[in-house]
Amino acid sequence: MWSLLTVQLLNGLVLGMIYALAAAGLTLIFGMLDIPNFAHGAFYALGAYLAYTVAEKSGSVALAFVLAPIAVGVLGLAVDTFFLRRLARAGHVYQILFTLGAVLVIQETIVLLWGADSLSVDVPSYFAGGVEVGLVLFPYYRLFLVAVGALTIAAVWLALERTRYGAIIRAGIEDPDMVSCLGIDVARLFMVVFGLGVALAGLAGALIVPVRGGQPAMGTQLTGLSFVVVVIGGMGSFAGAVAGGLLVGVTQALMTVFYPPASQVGVFAAMAAVLLVRPQGLFGIR
Amino acid sequence: MRPGQRTGFAVLALVVLAAPAAVNYPTLEAQVLIAALLALGFNLLLGEMGFLSFGQATFNGIGAYCTGLLIKSGWPLLAALGASAGSAALAALVVGALSTQGTGIYAVMLTFAFNEMAYYAAFEWSDLTGGDNGLRGLARPALWGVGLADPRRYYYLVAAVFLVGFFLVLRLTASPFGHVLRAIRENEHRARAVGYRVRRYKVAAFALSGALSGLAGGLFAMLYQFVPLQAIDFNTSTDIVIMGLLGGTGSVYGPLLGAAVYTLMANFLSNLWARWPLILGLLFCSLVMFLRGGLWELCAAVWRRLGALVPRSGRRNSDAGGRRAARLEDRGAA
Repeated sequence: MWSLLTVQLLNGLVLGMIYALAAAGLTLIFGMLDIPNFAHGAFYALGAYLAYTVAEKSGSVALAFVLAPIAVGVLGLAVDTFFLRRLARAGHVYQILFTLGAVLVIQETIVLLWGADSLSVDVPSYFAGGVEVGLVLFPYYRLFLVAVGALTIAAVWLALERTRYGAIIRAGIEDPDMVSCLGIDVARLFMVVFGLGVALAGLAGALIVPVRGGQPAMGTQLTGLSFVVVVIGGMGSFAGAVAGGLLVGVTQALMTVFYPPASQVGVFAAMAAVLLVRPQGLFGIR
Repeated sequence: MRPGQRTGFAVLALVVLAAPAAVNYPTLEAQVLIAALLALGFNLLLGEMGFLSFGQATFNGIGAYCTGLLIKSGWPLLAALGASAGSAALAALVVGALSTQGTGIYAVMLTFAFNEMAYYAAFEWSDLTGGDNGLRGLARPALWGVGLADPRRYYYLVAAVFLVGFFLVLRLTASPFGHVLRAIRENEHRARAVGYRVRRYKVAAFALSGALSGLAGGLFAMLYQFVPLQAIDFNTSTDIVIMGLLGGTGSVYGPLLGAAVYTLMANFLSNLWARWPLILGLLFCSLVMFLRGGLWELCAAVWRRLGALVPRSGRRNSDAGGRRAARLEDRGAA
């Protein structure tokens, strides 16, 4: 029993790290830029498929983990500049609607390019094997996934909190008019933040493929969960997104041991409860 | 009802009643009307009241399951449909009362969260709903001794329900209640300051929207004699949003057009090309970017252009606006 619990805890950590990465990206976009990006999961799926192709063509998994998020981020830059920024004045409703349309476009493009069958990728050979936990073998790759996720989140956090560029971004979010008066191109700044946000979703997608494989519609569930995590953690709170992601992942994994039927309903019930009782989220300030 | 609305309704009723005689696809045409009921319910909230509901599938699904289960336990058809409308309205009452506590994007996220809860509840409670397999094997009972197994007969039942629903929505939007909803849309604070109990109106609109969606769900369940889990899926909610916006939220006829275009596209394009949602997505994105009034506004604009081509003497009334414009031009010349 204890080894089973430990393994589920570790699995929850893996899942939680994926949620944390995606939600950290969404909290940048939704919490800070105020764009309700319902295509977040579609960017995640795109990251997964791009990583698969890069790894297959170049033979290097490391390259896939670097190139796929960058490519997703660049696409995000374009989507923000050409479409979402122009819809900012029209309000949330139209931004939501645009991203809903974008989900269809991205999902169907994935099917056109890669086919409707699900992807399955073997874990790279140098990650073969795992740690023994009681009777179960916990794969090394999953530990690697958690480490990469943690490092990336730490790097983004440092960049936001401890660098000059990060300070400009935070100032731009606090008071865009003032910052643009200081001669900084706020639109470009926000575009970069949007790109970074979807790149984090892309990285999450790339990391999950060797664990769960990939399906064209793999993002739909993640979009919902990312919103749950962002709402629970507090919109715009980076720490909240990370903590919330890990919390939801671990809770889900443990619920599947104790009472599986409640694991999904419970997550969304928690979201509704937070929205009703504490709309600023557990870590939110606004 | 204004005379213009009366003609509009008469024309629509004629089209709806004559449709299966003109083109013999009663099942598809019934599906169009069911989708139109859903879009109508959605637009009551967005178009009239300015509230984007992201959880319309909740009410559709509850209506569908309710009809399915009641038919299974031997209820007569109309009673089951009525109970579906009632139970969906009740669910919408609760969702509306809770969701309208939030403002702006928080309220939208609440409707989304409740939809996901309902979906997973239906998925897990498979003893009742059939879970992933859906609720199967529903027999379509006869209505007042008239068998409805013939798809054409069933179409006329759907058409009757649809026309009654649409008539009620028309009456409602013209009523003082409808005016208050529009006042809330335009300026909620002012509506409250004037003394209207805004929350109550919002919740009432939710209940009505839920009743329409629940009816649609029940009719759908009896159309295919099956309730798929999809009926309560969040993706169905986004489909309803897409239908509403595709047609345009500015007019009561917009969502009907959107529902028809969407359903027909889904049926014909999916046969031609399995990736048809790509076209839908591109169309939808460009509408959001360039034509927020949707297809109905496009039609209206084309109609006005055509009207402008008709020589002025051919018009029935002397054109007051035109005369005024001419006078202004004279003044400018002088």
